Amino acid sequence: MVSTLAMSPQSQGLRLGPARVYAGLILLLALSMLMSLTLGYKIYSLDQVWMALFAHDGSETAVVIAGLRLPRALIAPLAGAALGMAGVMVQTLSRNRIASPDTLGLNAGASLAVVVASIMLGVQSLAGLSLAAAFGAFVTAIVVFGVAASAGGLSPLKIVLVGVTFASLSHAFVEVLLTSNEAQLQQLLFWLSGAFVDRPIALFYNGLPVVIVGGIIGIGLSRALDALQADDSTAAGLGVPLAAVRGLAFVAVALLTGAAVSMAGPVAFVGLVVPHAARRLVGLRHIHQLPAAALFGAVYATLADVAARFVIYPVEAPVGAITAVVGAIVLLVLLMRRAA
Amino acid sequence: MADLVPSRIEVRDLTLTYGHDTVLDALNLPIPRGKVTVLAGPNGCGKSTLLRAIRRLHTGQKGQILLDNVDIASLGAKDLARQIGLLAQNPSAPPDMTVEELVRLGRYPHQAMLQPWSERDGAAVNRAMDGTGVTGLKTRRIGSLSGGQLQRAWIAMVLAQETDVICLDEPVNHLDMAHQLDCLDLVLKLNQEDGRTIVLVLHDLNLAARYADQLVFVHEGRVRALGQPEELMKPELLAEVFEVDAAIMTDPVHGRPICIPRGRARAAVQEVA
Repeated sequence: MVSTLAMSPQSQGLRLGPARVYAGLILLLALSMLMSLTLGYKIYSLDQVWMALFAHDGSETAVVIAGLRLPRALIAPLAGAALGMAGVMVQTLSRNRIASPDTLGLNAGASLAVVVASIMLGVQSLAGLSLAAAFGAFVTAIVVFGVAASAGGLSPLKIVLVGVTFASLSHAFVEVLLTSNEAQLQQLLFWLSGAFVDRPIALFYNGLPVVIVGGIIGIGLSRALDALQADDSTAAGLGVPLAAVRGLAFVAVALLTGAAVSMAGPVAFVGLVVPHAARRLVGLRHIHQLPAAALFGAVYATLADVAARFVIYPVEAPVGAITAVVGAIVLLVLLMRRAA
Repeated sequence: MADLVPSRIEVRDLTLTYGHDTVLDALNLPIPRGKVTVLAGPNGCGKSTLLRAIRRLHTGQKGQILLDNVDIASLGAKDLARQIGLLAQNPSAPPDMTVEELVRLGRYPHQAMLQPWSERDGAAVNRAMDGTGVTGLKTRRIGSLSGGQLQRAWIAMVLAQETDVICLDEPVNHLDMAHQLDCLDLVLKLNQEDGRTIVLVLHDLNLAARYADQLVFVHEGRVRALGQPEELMKPELLAEVFEVDAAIMTDPVHGRPICIPRGRARAAVQEVA
């Protein structure tokens, strides 16, 4: 009797049961969104936020909160949720815990598309650039998937190798284009490191349905994705149609990454870090892993966005730099643990 | 002879080529219902390929695999997975997956896309874990298991699939002697208690002879010989198929034939010296 009391929490590790995890994460998300609305260069009270959102009086405070704070308080969690779910699927598809949409070259492809659109096609509007980003992520996904598939089988290693190759190639083109067009460098630089600031709320409304579709595809595939965590022979032996599941999951990844990049630019490493937290919290079944990654990703991105306002206060740091630092630390820990 | 048992699986004219290599060459094989069939043969003879072909895992395989007189090419992937289970050679899954999560994978072919987990699914998983003795390990991560425990967990995964035919591709490869026997005894229990049809690929000829109802020698992509172990364990046949010069004796414990290769064992070397 005594031993059951002493043993039960430990044998389960961090896994608390999905319902409690969801409840906790939703609470955290609400809290972090509230922080995103109130904290920043100026700190607003809850009353001011309430007034700006529900009884807009046209005051400067209300304009700032509703026009500047609200969009980022919505875009950050949505982009984080999208990248979290995309990261889960990429890591399962590649059977590689250090893979992410970045590894598949999707962020790099999106960056290249933005730079090309801006420099070569003269696109200036944010909406135009964000569309280019989504397009770039999507085309890269199709190209990487196509090349990996045509090279004989869709082995996890091959997908990552093709992705990394395309990422380097895209980065090279971006560098060349930026170096030869220094005038536009400053303007694009902020975008290229990823940020939630100064985004029109329209981006949120455009991204939301795409993220929902991507998430639904992922949930629909959740059992097949569970089986795909095992080796190909085992998964095929269970009756999983490997090529179809991989193809569909890749579409979901492209939709989610494209939506995130279109809203926020290439926010680095979110898709790498979040799945690890999700698995620790709810285990490896995708029916729980995906929602937990969505919620955790939302909280993570929102808190990173809040932190970005204070690290070099009063100037705002690009949130992509914050997530890159956190991501690099997590990556190092993962690599060292693997080596040990 | 056990030929009175009707074939559950009938392999007909099975041919598989990789480029210019013919791996399986118009191979024919009956697999009797409710028996243990063991495929044996030298490295590269095509025995593992044959096992995977029975599960239709190769693209471009020609010929027919009849399961109860139905060509499996006409069955959907999930239909087939409800009838033939496969434990792959050296299967892998993430080390932080729990035993229960692994065993649950076996329910995949029984579930529609968003159909909730049913009582039947839960019962099948519990039965599979009980039958393989891993119930006490169900919250353990598979990366923390010993080789023997891990193999039991994988067998439980295939059991949860509730198939009448179970194919196992070299299931005892990396196990020590005690766990090899433990694992194969478990497989034998599935055959004897539940009447399942078992198809095994085994490397060790003596284990093959010990556990097989029907022993099959695969050689250069064809079935060279099949029958009861006593009929196949002959020096001439072993010399031809395995290229070993071996003496055959009867195992005094189980009465099964065992082969003792005359190679350069220590005693022989000393004798020469």
